[in-house]
Amino acid sequence: MPARHLIIGGGTAGLNAIRTIREEDGGASEITLVSAERPYSRMVLPYYLGASIAESHVYTATPASLAAWKVKAMLGRRAKSLDTGAQKLTLDDGSTVEYDDCLIATGSRAARPPVAGADGPGVHSFWTLEEARAVIAAVQPGTRVVMVGAGFISFTILNAILSRGASLTIVEVAPRILPRMVDEACAGIVASWLVKHGVTLRVGATLTGIEEWKGKRRLTFKKGDPILADVVIMATGIRTNLEWLEGSGIQVSSEPGGGILVDDRLRSSVKNVYAAGDVARGPNLLTGTLEVHAIEPTAQEHGRVVGANMAGRDLAYRGSLIMNIVEVCHLDVASFGQWDNPKAQVFTATRTPRSQYRKLLFEGGRLTGAMICGPAEDIWSTNDVGMLKGLVYSGVDLSRWKAHLERNPFDIKPAYIASHTAGALLPTTNLGRASRSPQLPHQVMVQ
Amino acid sequence: MRVLALHPEKCTGCLRCELACSYMQTGTYQPSKSVIRVSPFEGYTSYAPYTCTQCAEGWCMTACPVGAIRINAAGAKDVVDDKCVGCKLCTIACPFGTMFYDADTTKAYKCNLCEGHPACADACPTEAITFVEGQTADWIGDFAAERTTRVLARESA
Repeated sequence: MPARHLIIGGGTAGLNAIRTIREEDGGASEITLVSAERPYSRMVLPYYLGASIAESHVYTATPASLAAWKVKAMLGRRAKSLDTGAQKLTLDDGSTVEYDDCLIATGSRAARPPVAGADGPGVHSFWTLEEARAVIAAVQPGTRVVMVGAGFISFTILNAILSRGASLTIVEVAPRILPRMVDEACAGIVASWLVKHGVTLRVGATLTGIEEWKGKRRLTFKKGDPILADVVIMATGIRTNLEWLEGSGIQVSSEPGGGILVDDRLRSSVKNVYAAGDVARGPNLLTGTLEVHAIEPTAQEHGRVVGANMAGRDLAYRGSLIMNIVEVCHLDVASFGQWDNPKAQVFTATRTPRSQYRKLLFEGGRLTGAMICGPAEDIWSTNDVGMLKGLVYSGVDLSRWKAHLERNPFDIKPAYIASHTAGALLPTTNLGRASRSPQLPHQVMVQ
Repeated sequence: MRVLALHPEKCTGCLRCELACSYMQTGTYQPSKSVIRVSPFEGYTSYAPYTCTQCAEGWCMTACPVGAIRINAAGAKDVVDDKCVGCKLCTIACPFGTMFYDADTTKAYKCNLCEGHPACADACPTEAITFVEGQTADWIGDFAAERTTRVLARESA
């Protein structure tokens, strides 16, 4: 009897797992996908909001492609409970699916703070496709938008809101913007840039309530004046979708961030149940510590490694590198690795007139964190963004370059090349083989 | 498959490869938009070209959330313009620094081996860039290590 694989969740992790199983087995196994939504990419929703792509562009699978991959798709259904003893999933409509092995990839959802009115009319989140549609309908030329939260999620939709002709105010509880993605110096550069481009920022502002006022939303704060808005977008973090696993016996971390505890094969405490993406507390590449990264590249790598292991490979996962990039009004900002490590040796450089910033963080001879900021036209005339990733990811020894990089943190290219970083990285693959072109699984033959 | 083999000891720093590449990739003669980049060493006395190795992992390709990077007939990872939304995830996934973003088109772009007829290799007058059957490699690491040793020693003196 062919193996019966069950994938719970049709996001990045789940779809990557399915594609990889098919790359490995060519269609020999049974795959069932249970997904509350039709698979789409959250990463590209901001471009749908900005009207640079159509809604059809966001989907990562169609009924036809799922059929071609020999996937039994149960869409529009939610997982309700998992019986790991009987190896059986119960869905919200009461139906059940039996499995030989299963992947939990139920992702996360937008969270709102416990503030009066935070769930009221005219208050949105931007996480799912349905939420994106609601924001698209609400944000028109001249709309006054207030975004609560100045983190990565908020910044990914900033350009799109402005391009819709709306005015934008961002309020943040922390004393500065992007508190979990960049340091204070970089945040200062980005903040000045945004103000220059017409965005209003208010940091250190604790929201106390949102109320209706003459057809508008009135946001009140612990200190300072209230703000009036037509539309409020809450970009105040995410919560993993794990509540449904209560009683399943799957071990979930009690540390902040939670997440299903996984081993180096990305198996949960129940060995034929894997976890991937935002719900998995997987290893950090640099420290080995188990963490929830909740970023797209981690979900992709998790999904691919799990897919290979479900297909019978025995692959250890190296771990994920935390990294983010966001472009706001043609200013690029990216950070890699342990950029806020207080024990690291830190070299920074700023070119104020050009809004450029670099930060390099060393532990011994190894670069373990980096930050880069600058106008798009400057950043992409160098190879520096990816080279910083490569230096952090490979951990090549930069001892003989440290003095040079301390004097000029911008000059990483000769250090990268002369340290044989490319040579160290070339043999590295996540699946122990060359990756396949993404369209290939369409060729899976129906037997 | 055929790969771009780079021979830095033959590079004169003439930048014809960058001109040819930028024209092929973006339709304009702008070395700043080339996906092959020539770096100077030892105070502009020697040079080495650097470009995508078409690595086995294909970090850019596996990172793309919409499957917009695919392997073309020449075996190169290639951006499908109609699918790319410009999210730049590929640019932080690539650990070689060889994914680029064109602010004019708002798309990512990279070396696609010019579909099998690389303009950089054609343009190189000294055969510092050749398109040959074989394995890719860290073509310029040894050269750069040797050409930077004296500079670093002088700096620390």
